[in-house]
Amino acid sequence: MSSTVEAIDVVKVFGDIHALDGLSFSVKPTEIFGLIGPNGAGKTTALRVVSTLLLPTSGTVKIFGSDVVQKAAEVRKIIAYLPEEAGTYRNLSGWEYLEFMAKFNTKDKNKTREMAKEAAEITGLGERLKDKTKTYSKGMKRRLLVARALMNKPKLAILDEPTSGLDVLHAYHVREIIKRYVKEQDVTVLLSSHNMLEVEHLCDRVALLNKGKIVAEGKPQELKENFESANLEEVFAKVVGLA
Amino acid sequence: MLKGFGNILLKEIKELVRDPKILLAMLIVPLIMFPVLGGIMSYSMQAAREQAEKATLLVVDNDGGNWSELFTEYLNFSVKVSVVNNRTLNNTVTLKLLSDHNATQLIEIPSGFSANMTEYKNGNTKINATVNFYGIFSGGGILQEVGSAIIDDSVSGFNRLVAPNAVYTFKSTIIKGEIQKNVDPSILSRLMLSQAIAMPITIMILLTYSMSIAATSVAMEKEEKTLETLLTLPMDRFAILMGKLSGSILIAGVGAIAYMIGFNYYMGSIMATIPSGTLDLVSLGLAPSLLGYLLLGISLFVTLLSALALAVIMSAFSEDVRGAQSLVGNLTPIIIIPALVLMYLDVNSLPLALKILIYVLPYSHPIIAARAVTMGDYWTVVFGIVYVTVFTLVIMYAASRLFATEKILTAKLKFRWLRKHEKKPTKELQ
Repeated sequence: MSSTVEAIDVVKVFGDIHALDGLSFSVKPTEIFGLIGPNGAGKTTALRVVSTLLLPTSGTVKIFGSDVVQKAAEVRKIIAYLPEEAGTYRNLSGWEYLEFMAKFNTKDKNKTREMAKEAAEITGLGERLKDKTKTYSKGMKRRLLVARALMNKPKLAILDEPTSGLDVLHAYHVREIIKRYVKEQDVTVLLSSHNMLEVEHLCDRVALLNKGKIVAEGKPQELKENFESANLEEVFAKVVGLA
Repeated sequence: MLKGFGNILLKEIKELVRDPKILLAMLIVPLIMFPVLGGIMSYSMQAAREQAEKATLLVVDNDGGNWSELFTEYLNFSVKVSVVNNRTLNNTVTLKLLSDHNATQLIEIPSGFSANMTEYKNGNTKINATVNFYGIFSGGGILQEVGSAIIDDSVSGFNRLVAPNAVYTFKSTIIKGEIQKNVDPSILSRLMLSQAIAMPITIMILLTYSMSIAATSVAMEKEEKTLETLLTLPMDRFAILMGKLSGSILIAGVGAIAYMIGFNYYMGSIMATIPSGTLDLVSLGLAPSLLGYLLLGISLFVTLLSALALAVIMSAFSEDVRGAQSLVGNLTPIIIIPALVLMYLDVNSLPLALKILIYVLPYSHPIIAARAVTMGDYWTVVFGIVYVTVFTLVIMYAASRLFATEKILTAKLKFRWLRKHEKKPTKELQ
């Protein structure tokens, strides 16, 4: 089976700091693939390169065979990216925000409305969608943003720390959205998280990132067995020599 | 004392002082801008004064009597006088004489002046000795129209010396090469003062206001973390730039109209106190034509566009609204300096180096255009439009390149000389 994402020997340098240092991984269609690691490991940089925001210093990234540098415009048609600290437009209502975003995907008014309606259901925010987003809690905003990222049925959804900073209930809701949507719509998800326990329950496969390099990769269960660990946190600690 | 006030104050001061962009905008720019502005103004004033001193008053003596000779000698105390005799003045002759003597003002002492003066001195106060004054109206700044005031002073002085109200000055103004009889240049200048002040101030405020809006709109996307999402959408990134510019132009346009209405009312209330007699700017050809208004509008539009594009580029180098405002604030001097200089002086009267500087700054051109359309000098306006358009295209190209690359996210102005002790940011590397 061909890969949805194929990253080969990707290097990204900021000044004299190597944020990515020969990163290679591949994501299979319809799987949820997690890049996990501590803060500063290079997760966000990797996702930004995949989502065409940053240019790799060297190496290649292809999405469904399209190079993210050479064919960035093509790639943007099939991906959806949710940044870690993404915000909404404060003075738009949740519904207006969804409609605004839907219009970038289709010019058909009916389709725009359908897309926004579907996203509205995903959010589970109900009547609150009529309120301006500046009145939303962090969790409500995140649900809106996750729905936005999935509303156009992207072939690849790139989610940076999708549950970061959320309380248990909101985090649970967001994870359920992702799981359900992947199942129903055959979407591939590439996500990052520093919450290794959460990723363990959500991802089909994970790659452990440290200092811009992948230090271990596989199914969560396989990794735990291989490293004789109770969870992925322990795996990571053993891989980087902390335990 | 309020509980916690001192602590909050200390934190605020630390935050402000440690932000190099604010430090630059609040301290260094004013410290540099005002001395530079003062230097430019005094240099310009000095040049204008020297020019006025060198200016020649042409006296056409068609009388040739003792009193005309005495009157000419008296004028020579205040201004440099050049005398020609016995010329019948009409439009062509007047203009040629002024051109030949490189003068902008002419006094004709008509035949019979000395006879009338003698009569007056002998007690027949019903007879006045008149002189005819012609001054070229250049449409210049506040300091440009001082010439006729000097003549008024000289005639008053002569009258005080010889006999009260002996000499009466019949004034005419030469506008766009045509003599307009019974138009006092100084009253005309005062009438045009509203334009000399209003346009530079309007443009100055319009530009700073709209640049602030444009910078805020991009910085807000960064601050609210919405820009990253936008940049990954299936859309032309140039559309983001154009959308932001157009939105800013619309808002700035509405602001400008509101401002101009308010300012017009303000100037109108001031103008009502100035005696203008029967002067009508439209009949004197000093109201811009439809073409003039059109060219002025285009000039203003391209300048606004270039300012907004520049603001967008600068704001891309900041991470938040406050930083963007501070950065764009650094552009204030290049808006204020031409506005203030052109408020007081006509660009053509400036020393060469300053004239070049004023023409190089794109924000001078709508101010120059406003005066030029009044005087019917459309080529100057067209030149300005072409220049600012080229400047704008360069800026727009740079802005579009910035939006097309990762620089829109990663660009930051580095003030290493101000933050020697700061550690490198690691946020990018998460």
